[in-house]
Amino acid sequence: MDVALSSWGAIVLKVFFGLVVAFLYAPIVILLIFSFNNSAVPTFPLSGFTLHWYHQFLTNPDLQAALKTSAVIAALSSAGAVALGILAAIALVRHQFKAKGPVSALLLSPLVIPYVVFGIALLLLFHTVGVQRGMFTVVIGHIVITLPYTILVLMPRLQQIDVSLEEAAYDLGASRFRAFRSITFPLLLPAVVSAYLIAFTTSFDEYAVASFVVGSQQTFPIYLYSALRFPNNLPQVIAVAVVVISVSLFVVVAAEVGRRIAERRLGELET
Amino acid sequence: MADTAEVGTSPAHRSGHRRPRLDLTGPSLLGLPVAALVVFFVVPIAIVGAYSVDALSIRSGPHPVTLTAWRDLFTGDPFLGHVYLKLFWKSVTISLIVSAVIVALAYPLAYYLALSGTKRKYVLLLLLIAPFLTSYLLRVLAWKVLLGDQGPINSLLSTMGLQSSDHPLHLIYSRFAVMLVLGYIWLPFVALPIFVSLESLDRRLLEAASDLGASRLYTFSRVTLPLSIPGVFAAFLFVFIPTLGEFVTPSLVGGTDGYMYGNQIVDLFGTGFPDWRTGAVLALFLLGVVAVLTLVFARFLQPSQVAAD
Repeated sequence: MDVALSSWGAIVLKVFFGLVVAFLYAPIVILLIFSFNNSAVPTFPLSGFTLHWYHQFLTNPDLQAALKTSAVIAALSSAGAVALGILAAIALVRHQFKAKGPVSALLLSPLVIPYVVFGIALLLLFHTVGVQRGMFTVVIGHIVITLPYTILVLMPRLQQIDVSLEEAAYDLGASRFRAFRSITFPLLLPAVVSAYLIAFTTSFDEYAVASFVVGSQQTFPIYLYSALRFPNNLPQVIAVAVVVISVSLFVVVAAEVGRRIAERRLGELET
Repeated sequence: MADTAEVGTSPAHRSGHRRPRLDLTGPSLLGLPVAALVVFFVVPIAIVGAYSVDALSIRSGPHPVTLTAWRDLFTGDPFLGHVYLKLFWKSVTISLIVSAVIVALAYPLAYYLALSGTKRKYVLLLLLIAPFLTSYLLRVLAWKVLLGDQGPINSLLSTMGLQSSDHPLHLIYSRFAVMLVLGYIWLPFVALPIFVSLESLDRRLLEAASDLGASRLYTFSRVTLPLSIPGVFAAFLFVFIPTLGEFVTPSLVGGTDGYMYGNQIVDLFGTGFPDWRTGAVLALFLLGVVAVLTLVFARFLQPSQVAAD
């Protein structure tokens, strides 16, 4: 006899799980259907198959500019967040110091700040100092909000890496930097990649903070938001949505599978 | 940072090695990340504070420091009354309902994954969580399409003859729509901390309870549920805190009925009738509430609660 679930209980929970998964994916599937529907409004009955909306968004210059802006912002801000995250993670994992509690609380605090508050705070900072808003100001905002994620991804991996490997390198005469470059960083690489991916996807999708500090150049979420407020080309936006959701689902699954494979290999190396 | 001494990790045997004096290790590594957060996180919040008391202002001319806006928030504005606190309470209610409902829905899901002994639990977990990792705005978009007056739900109902297309169900632009969409967005995420706490549960405790004659229900109420409470709390707060200041979803599907506290803050900084002083007060009040919640419940908010592996 199973101690946690009766056989009937297991069936009930399985059905419930199936229903919830259906609820989670149904809206995405319905978007997929309407992205191929030959009608300017998403309404039943369906009126025929078309690739028109996909063709239209592929040739839409505003949308492409927005996608490019977001890609550049995401690439820069996640590189910044990962670099700062590596520094912070090494200090927090490898060293003991008095102010560790307050410092880690500060480093993780962007996780809980309401984005509306942080967005306004940054806006007021740039306004007070007199900085022109633009891509650069969005990059700064995104570095701050993704930094805690990178630290949280990097720290557990760093804890698994045996300190004696680094100490062996010092004993053989390597400098701190050399030991980091040749020993720690390669072992940390899988976590660096996942941290970068998490920061990149977060930044690419981030609307709330960006909406306060963006300049005249639209990011992709800001383009989407305005397209949603004034839905005169809704099917085209639906087509974009389908592509972006599919790509991000693929990246998420691939990153997860890749991480597990990499960790299994590292596990074999270490034993 | 000068008073922080590096202790512990340096083994004595390598203290004899000559190393460059410029030591980019230890607490000094924290210099850059901490400086970045001070300049772009702490200072901006201080500037909001300065605006809230008129130490800084968009109005030209002299503006003495005043606590008027703070006083108006708590004692009621002479013209508007307690309009902001009422709106805050409305947001609290919406967030509480959404968090409670989806934690209740997610618990059985996490229980099934962690304790049913299914072999594919990590595949199923990924299936559950994957939607959370796709675009937030696009998931709101999906519901904006679905709930529209001529949208798929209404048009399907009228095609099936269940309802006249002249009188569609008014699903969108309501408090209900806001709660539905917020619940949809956060549901996958909420299962994670509960799953982690159930997964780390020692199954031998359940076996012991069973051997001692406890029924499954009794074991659940006396062993499993109490041990998973930290995960439930974490899940609840992980949803409650971000939805409290939410403004994107209500602005897209809420209309006036679903207007939340976060929308009010945005509007006070908007182009219509900007009032940065009141906006700053409202923003800091929200931040204060979130900070108190975080500090009080800090022990449930361990990052390890979401680090499922």
